Amino acid sequence: MAISPSSRLPSARESAAAATVCLALCAVLAWLAHTQSRFSPAVDIAFHEAKATAGTVHAQAQDLVSPLPAALRPMSAAEAFAPETLSDKIDGKAEVYLSAGVAGLRCQRMALAAAPASWIELFVFDMGKPSNAYSVYSSQRRSDVTDLQLADYAYRAGNEIALVHGPFYVEVVATDEGPATIEAASALARAYVAATPVSAHADVSSDQALFPREGLVPGSVTLLSTDVFGFDGLGNVYVARFRDGKDELTLFLARRTGARDATAAAAALRGFFVDDCGGKEVARPALPAGAVIIDAGGSFEGVFSTGAFLAGVHQAPSREGTDRWLKRLSASLAEKR
Amino acid sequence: MSPDAPFPPIGPEATRRAFLRRALKAGAAIAATGGLAAWLWDRHPPGTLGLRAPASALPDFRVSDAGRRMAIVTGTDRVRTLRRALEAMGGIGRFIKRGDRVIVKVNAAFAAPSVLCATTHPDVAAELVRLCLGAGAAKVLVTDNPINDPESCFALSGIAASVGAAGGALVLPRAADFADGSLPGGRLIRNWPMLLGPFRGVTKLIGAAPVKHHARAGASMTIKNWYGLLGGRRNQFHQDINGIIVELAQLVRPTFVVLDGTMSMLTNGPTGGSLADLKPTHTLVVSTDPVAADAFGATLLGRTFHDLPYLSRAAQLGCGTTDFGALQPARDDVS
Repeated sequence: MAISPSSRLPSARESAAAATVCLALCAVLAWLAHTQSRFSPAVDIAFHEAKATAGTVHAQAQDLVSPLPAALRPMSAAEAFAPETLSDKIDGKAEVYLSAGVAGLRCQRMALAAAPASWIELFVFDMGKPSNAYSVYSSQRRSDVTDLQLADYAYRAGNEIALVHGPFYVEVVATDEGPATIEAASALARAYVAATPVSAHADVSSDQALFPREGLVPGSVTLLSTDVFGFDGLGNVYVARFRDGKDELTLFLARRTGARDATAAAAALRGFFVDDCGGKEVARPALPAGAVIIDAGGSFEGVFSTGAFLAGVHQAPSREGTDRWLKRLSASLAEKR
Repeated sequence: MSPDAPFPPIGPEATRRAFLRRALKAGAAIAATGGLAAWLWDRHPPGTLGLRAPASALPDFRVSDAGRRMAIVTGTDRVRTLRRALEAMGGIGRFIKRGDRVIVKVNAAFAAPSVLCATTHPDVAAELVRLCLGAGAAKVLVTDNPINDPESCFALSGIAASVGAAGGALVLPRAADFADGSLPGGRLIRNWPMLLGPFRGVTKLIGAAPVKHHARAGASMTIKNWYGLLGGRRNQFHQDINGIIVELAQLVRPTFVVLDGTMSMLTNGPTGGSLADLKPTHTLVVSTDPVAADAFGATLLGRTFHDLPYLSRAAQLGCGTTDFGALQPARDDVS
């Protein structure tokens, strides 16, 4: 029965070719194994959680604050959320924390023992370091507040208490602003701070004081962690709003590691405004040295560096105003740093 | 080479036995490979990787003869403003007929008290249920997919109690309620798990949302409210928030929407947390055009539709108009 005419042994050349093919197949297999072992997290999530609805509650065995103030009793188990599940709890607000480097959120609801219809939720955002905690605090600080002596930067705005404690940004949200509820919320905040030792505190007063005082809109100083002015190469920048007659503009400053770093940051920001935003450089004033003014189409940007600081004016309504505030900011920096 | 060797020669001298042996080995190899492939084959791949031709996830719930209409009523009492707005639209009977099965899609995203206005106000949800039942609806379902602890979200927002008292049926999302849904031609909503179970047999869809600032989207109003129909790891859509809202505007064609701007969340949305985030704007909108409703809602936040890119894109795609004035909205005040 003839099937194939060949019955000879393979030649050395054929064996080499076969070995090469086998090696190539082994290489493909190794590549596949390597790729599969580093599966995209997005696909992994889609595989395992695509149908998930509830069930993302990560209950904690212990209360967030122990012992609780006498006026409160636990209403729910404490929950914990990692950065990738943060939006399960706070939806689109998660982006505010993610961009500032959040490490996790723990939260728990407590009811007033004497009036269970009133309840309080404690949110503790672990921001990794005090400056990040201050960043999310400052970007959300309400305008009409009562300062409290509970912890760093603590204030009350209606039914809510907010504070910074080391690397933690803390919000205590109550269902109402009745005296008993607010007293319980204050006691809870106090108890949390007392029970949570931290090694470092956010101290931004020295950097904030570098801004001019005249015209500063109270409570407007904010520390932006990332993507400042939409520029992904710029982070950790203080911004503050100033009144200029009937107008408002923003001043900014950022401490860098040294003069060279600050100069490079100023050049990069200028490049962003001109190359990416379509701005046009319209002036290089004599003071402050190295400053540039950019017409951003309807508003003006001013950028300079001095020593280890990057500084400037953002969204000023006029070129003259930009020039004037650049000089004010430069003088303030020279005087106070 | 002997016929019993591992690879006996096949040639003129090959035996039938050698041929059968080799054929059996080849067959076994093929069967083993096929079996392995069958064992590894995932019959339920993740939605985004599915290759099925997309079909629209939801039917069109619009009432054909209602056209594009809008009513804007000012006042502090949500029940009165809602009733008056619907009267100005021709009455609830224009939209809901006897025997209709209605879904009211609320925003119950957070386990927050209604006073914070981060969720649909229970008064609005309950009054919609009452109105629909009064118009002869056979059933009124109220639902949302808050992801985190839906039971707490509905209970603590006050929606569960108010809807129950009004005679509505609250539908908490269960895993079985999710099925892959698509927007035909969509870029993002393709075989994505969606809360479709409650829609079985439903003939009308009403959206009810508060006016809120949103950290990522700029604002969360009636169109963003449909985001609650998405399941899975939907947070990845935040990377293209305008894109997903536009696709939701294309996908969901409701009977009408209710935009509650009695109190508007101006800052720190979508969660808020402080009463200081709210501003009394004392306005409620009912519209068959969600784009128009949201374009008006932007003004309550001190903005225009230009500040919310998804609105212009949705309008360009025929989902509605940003020029809400062109609808000649009925206006009234019930303060």
